Amino acid sequence: MATAEMPAVAGRWARAPFYFNSAAHLMRIGREKACNLAELLEALRVCPDESIFQHTFQTLREHHFIREGFSNDFAHWAFAACNEVGLAERLAGIDVREFTSIASLRQRLVDIVDSYGKQNPRARERTAFEPFYFAASELIVIPTPFVGRNLAEFADGIRQVSLYSIHYHFIEARLRLKLNSNDFSLWLEHELDLARLADRINQIDIYTATLHDVRRTILRVVQSAL
Amino acid sequence: MSDGKLPKSKATLTSEPPPEGNSVQAPGVPEVERRQRPRPKISTTPPAPPPPPRLDDYEPIIGKPELDDLRFLARQLRGKTVKMVNSTAVGGGVAEMLNRLIPLLNELEVETKWEVITGGNDFFEVTKGFHNALHGGEYAVTQAVKDIFMMYTEQNRQRMQFVEDLFVMHDPQPAALITSRERNRGCWVWRCHIDLSNPNPEVWGFLRPFIDQYDAAIFSSPAFSRQLACPQYLFYPCIDPLSEKNKDLEESVVAKVCDDFGLDRSRPIITQISRFDRLKDPVGVIQAYKLAKKYVDCQLVLAGGGATDDPEGAAVLQEVMEEADDDPDIIILNLPPWSAIEINALQCASTLVIQKSLKEGFGLTVTEGLWKGKPVIAGAVGGIPTQVIHKLTGVLVHSVEGCAYQIRYLLTHPEYAAQLGKNGREHVKENFLMTTNVKRWLLLFQILLGMTRLHSPEER
Repeated sequence: MATAEMPAVAGRWARAPFYFNSAAHLMRIGREKACNLAELLEALRVCPDESIFQHTFQTLREHHFIREGFSNDFAHWAFAACNEVGLAERLAGIDVREFTSIASLRQRLVDIVDSYGKQNPRARERTAFEPFYFAASELIVIPTPFVGRNLAEFADGIRQVSLYSIHYHFIEARLRLKLNSNDFSLWLEHELDLARLADRINQIDIYTATLHDVRRTILRVVQSAL
Repeated sequence: MSDGKLPKSKATLTSEPPPEGNSVQAPGVPEVERRQRPRPKISTTPPAPPPPPRLDDYEPIIGKPELDDLRFLARQLRGKTVKMVNSTAVGGGVAEMLNRLIPLLNELEVETKWEVITGGNDFFEVTKGFHNALHGGEYAVTQAVKDIFMMYTEQNRQRMQFVEDLFVMHDPQPAALITSRERNRGCWVWRCHIDLSNPNPEVWGFLRPFIDQYDAAIFSSPAFSRQLACPQYLFYPCIDPLSEKNKDLEESVVAKVCDDFGLDRSRPIITQISRFDRLKDPVGVIQAYKLAKKYVDCQLVLAGGGATDDPEGAAVLQEVMEEADDDPDIIILNLPPWSAIEINALQCASTLVIQKSLKEGFGLTVTEGLWKGKPVIAGAVGGIPTQVIHKLTGVLVHSVEGCAYQIRYLLTHPEYAAQLGKNGREHVKENFLMTTNVKRWLLLFQILLGMTRLHSPEER
């Protein structure tokens, strides 16, 4: 019975606690710069992993408040500075959550820009309104005082941590985990045996929601189990 | 404003000449109506600055977790000392920023000292020449110029002590103090607040050997940077949400300022705050307003300074007055530099904020407008596109016609305009607040001092 199980789920101790971390990023100005699509393609091939991360995962956090119309910096530049709507659409269609490594994400970006350039040779050398400057994200992980030893404490942590923490655990995590999942779902499944809850959280769409929305949805899902 | 600088017919429209710093109404309003408007009351001398805010004062704005992150980062830096050096203690954006940043770092127990370099008029003439030349102007770096620069650098070097762990030199004036480096083992940072995208090669060629000795350089935009031997970081310029110009105002204050300036709050108000400078295109703003006004009712406020102490500013103001012609809904205000509350109130009262610059550094007036949750229409130049993401946090325009269209569109689509304003405020909160820059400094200090381990995004 659901009602009888509620206290048991809420108070059940996890096998290992969930330690909430946060992350702080400093932006380093990169050496690569692109004034047209050919240069973008070349830079995508050689830029540091931290640049791919910055312009995809990290920029999503920086613009988390936008519900629609912003996906990554490359798509935005293709649209706003190159007026290449078709390319912008394809780049914007990249869902970072499908990637568990920077290398595979980089390859997808290269493939899209390369194939667009082959189909639109004139576009390759056309000078953009403004250059694309590559940056790289320098990341420091910051511990927080919040610890979830059971579902109730976990919910409390979700409620109180910063959006940086939500992004770190929910979005960036797949690069560390090498899984199409996130820290929250993994913990719920492995430490509390709540696989369905974990799945529901992993299905939250970050491209049609702000990080505030993500936090609210996670809380709603977790509270439905309490 | 000096009466002599205005066409007599316009300067004498009010019942008595406006005192310096007060409003200049556009011509054309019947004399009776003008006399009914109360005279704006702005102090003729700068008021005493309020005490700087405490860190806890920012909690309602950025939240406790964000403050906790700052405290955590600072805790690791306890016992480390920082010296920041610039060329002036008052006036200008750098001094304004340091006046806020340094108390916050000290409150976080990262002991930070602020020193100002000294020099004679000849030194500051040279550094002003450098400043203009680094923006692309002409300047001859003669041996005499080099000697003056190095002589005052040496004087300051002798006067100052360099015993801290970190040294931050702001802009070119103190840049050569890096020659003190041999005396100790601190880390040196050059914070460049100016646009180096197209520097005069002679001046840059003289300064560059000094800059290459630094451990890191900081720029306000990737476009402003140069290829250097040291790592370069991006620190956006920022606003202080608790400053007079950006803090929340009581509605009664906003209402009073609008009353004082004769604004009708029952009708849309569009505002551009900027110096009377051709690069801010105030005449273009009036032209856009006139085009839009054929379809939508609105008032235009052009408020700024620079027309009192700058001959070119006075000339631009005159052009603006002429373009305004007889329109009673154009309100032109030449404000003194200490009009922060008035500017804040005007931005708060605005339906739309415009910054139709033709050339721009970063454009902090855009940041201010966005922070007040206003839909912003801005020229796509300088640092503005970093702030105004077209159709997401505001709209970018490239022409008078484009600006006019966006005025019409946003005034007739208030829900869309409101969403832009909401996104714009979030964008500022995320990227362009003083507290974000405090965090950037703390991170940079930790990285330079080797006190933290950088994580790869893929690292467990």
